[in-house]
Amino acid sequence: MDIAPDADLEKFRAEVAEFLDTAPTPEIREAGRRTTSVFGPFDQVMAWHRILHARGWSAPDWPVEHGGPGWSVEQRYVFADEYQKRGLPPLLPNGLRMIGPLLMELGTPEQQARYLPGILSGEDYWTQGYSEPGAGSDLASLSTMAVPDGDDYVLNGSKIWTTYAHHANRMFMLVRTSREGKKQQGITFLLLDRMDLPGLEVRPIIGLDGAPEQCEVFFTDVRVPQADRVGAENDGWSVAKQLLKHERGGSAHSPMLRRRLEVARAAAAETPSGFGGTLADDPVFQRDLGELEAEVASYEHFEKLAISGHPIARDPAYPSLNKVMSSELTQRISVLMTRVVGLDGLPDQREALLVGSDAEPLGGDLALIAMPYYLNSRATTIYAGTNEVQRDLIARTLRS
Amino acid sequence: MDFTFTEEQTLLRDSVVRALQRDYSFEARQSIVRSGTGWSPDVWARLVELGLTALPFPEDVGGLGGSVVDVVAVAEVFGEHLLVEPYDASIVLAGGVLAAVGRKDELERIASGEAIGALAHEEGRGTPDPSLVTTKAERSADGYALTGEKRLVLHGADADVLVVSARLDAGLALFLVDASAPVATRFTTVDGRRAAHLRFDGAPGTLLAADAEPLLRGVLDRAIVVLAAEAVGAMGGLLRRTAEYASTREQFGVPIGSFQTVAHRLADMKIAYVAARSTLLHTTALAEAGRLAPQDVAVLKAQVGRLGRRVGESAIQTHGGVGMTDELPIGHLHKRVLAVDAMFGGTDHHLRRLGAPRSPAATG
Repeated sequence: MDIAPDADLEKFRAEVAEFLDTAPTPEIREAGRRTTSVFGPFDQVMAWHRILHARGWSAPDWPVEHGGPGWSVEQRYVFADEYQKRGLPPLLPNGLRMIGPLLMELGTPEQQARYLPGILSGEDYWTQGYSEPGAGSDLASLSTMAVPDGDDYVLNGSKIWTTYAHHANRMFMLVRTSREGKKQQGITFLLLDRMDLPGLEVRPIIGLDGAPEQCEVFFTDVRVPQADRVGAENDGWSVAKQLLKHERGGSAHSPMLRRRLEVARAAAAETPSGFGGTLADDPVFQRDLGELEAEVASYEHFEKLAISGHPIARDPAYPSLNKVMSSELTQRISVLMTRVVGLDGLPDQREALLVGSDAEPLGGDLALIAMPYYLNSRATTIYAGTNEVQRDLIARTLRS
Repeated sequence: MDFTFTEEQTLLRDSVVRALQRDYSFEARQSIVRSGTGWSPDVWARLVELGLTALPFPEDVGGLGGSVVDVVAVAEVFGEHLLVEPYDASIVLAGGVLAAVGRKDELERIASGEAIGALAHEEGRGTPDPSLVTTKAERSADGYALTGEKRLVLHGADADVLVVSARLDAGLALFLVDASAPVATRFTTVDGRRAAHLRFDGAPGTLLAADAEPLLRGVLDRAIVVLAAEAVGAMGGLLRRTAEYASTREQFGVPIGSFQTVAHRLADMKIAYVAARSTLLHTTALAEAGRLAPQDVAVLKAQVGRLGRRVGESAIQTHGGVGMTDELPIGHLHKRVLAVDAMFGGTDHHLRRLGAPRSPAATG
């Protein structure tokens, strides 16, 4: 074991801190304070992505040959830590953590050359077309059809829970190319290099938090070149499973959870407990906060073990363990945030939440985000495979 | 960052696994617990032979100069096998103090396994914080006299070398006391260890260290890491045995693990185990690097306590009726976890420490 402090690392920390203190615009900082989801305010997050790219820091987890900075595990943690301390909005995961790494593994050299640079730079935003109205946890029952026609596929059907599809210029998706045999065997993985295709229509869905984060996408005779297929025809299920590992697996997520907890802790010191003192002095609150502190710490330890190459990450249950732990912690922290703001969480402030809004926020920063964050985070145990499905997968690895 | 055991540590651990698999089956362990001494001098001799009693001590007292990581690597195995021999009492607690104060003579005897040590420190619910110790030491004609009561002293009545914490003037001091001096109330703990409450009525003591609170905290922090390793080892045993049972026990014509409610409980046990073990390994690495902060210890102790309880209770529930019997290791593993939770401050104590407003010095 080795966890020795390192002077070079502290130099690196100073370099990161200096950049993160100076590079983000006021709008980007404001977007960070108003982020109530994995998906922060779109325009500002993408602007920040491009600024980070100019510095070479948009994809800390990527290998150097594809434009990653070549940081050690420790450096990546320091970066995530400094980033979160400043409450900056996280970059969107679909490109950097999902389709990007997948193309590195399974894309053709042409696909890599064509698509990776735009993912790295933040020029492109990819939405994910997996779920359908009739295919959620049972994803393999999806029915959006792709019929070969010349060099193209012709698509008909619809996708749902396509995050930020109304902002997207690209999409990766699963389609049905065969109804023969097992349902998993007739699925194909496709890339859409644009969203303004004839026959493609995007309709935003207003979520519990009042934000149009999710969308439905409808396909009527949409033509997609067969060259934009990843993997073989009818082999899309194994491609999708590969991608899910990236979606469920972690990079450094714990610094964000810690940041949320710190914000709640700080606000508690200013909040009356209802028994005379402040919430911070209330023993019940202290115990509950302490429990979340301990849980975030354990999750951070788990994450550090995994990214430093401990055998724990080679456990076949690892992606599911990671997904359940991080999503349920996110929810529990969001509950604590709503407990701290209490009544101040009740005004519907969806207007004031928009970056650059003229609407005057009621209450402090935490009052503005706690309720929408709580509501939005109900999705964390549903998306990327519900936690019920994850527990099935974990239990399967335990059965002899 | 590296949280793996070295090849040497893995070899040592494997040798302990082999030895305990051979000499320390659950049935053998149960007859040891029921025996007159409550622990086995033969098993102890085997641990000595494997170098385990000498492991954490410096070479000039016959030790092997091992680290806390070495001890954790074997303590997980001790936990899974429900060891009742006085390793924690003698090597980790009393030995830890004697090494920190540099008492070579006693240390040599402890490292060789020839003497058994015990640390009399806890006094009941108040002592997770050493500053709240009430046992008092007063200067006497020929040294010091100690008065007070110590509770749950592991191997307190069978120790040859007894270390006692007591208030001296405004500070906390550590003393060596003749092991036959206190009035002992002996008992076996729920998890099968021998222990005693010890009453001191002006017992003569030799001063080991005055103003020893930081020293004692350091020893207790490392002991908590080792105890946590035992608890995590026990949790691993609970998980493994319960997964096996759910795969083979049939009801309604199918293995009970095929029912989703049972399967999800197993998944939750695995999640709890992985979280606790991650924290154990991370905290162990910090301890070895000399970077252990009070919050790190509180996180470990609290997580092992609450997650361990959850794993144990789930294991009993999944086993159903047989999980309630004394014949199966399940309940015994659970009781080991509960015992670790209760010692040196339970879950609630450590969680409140974590959730309390931070003093300016503690933030960083």
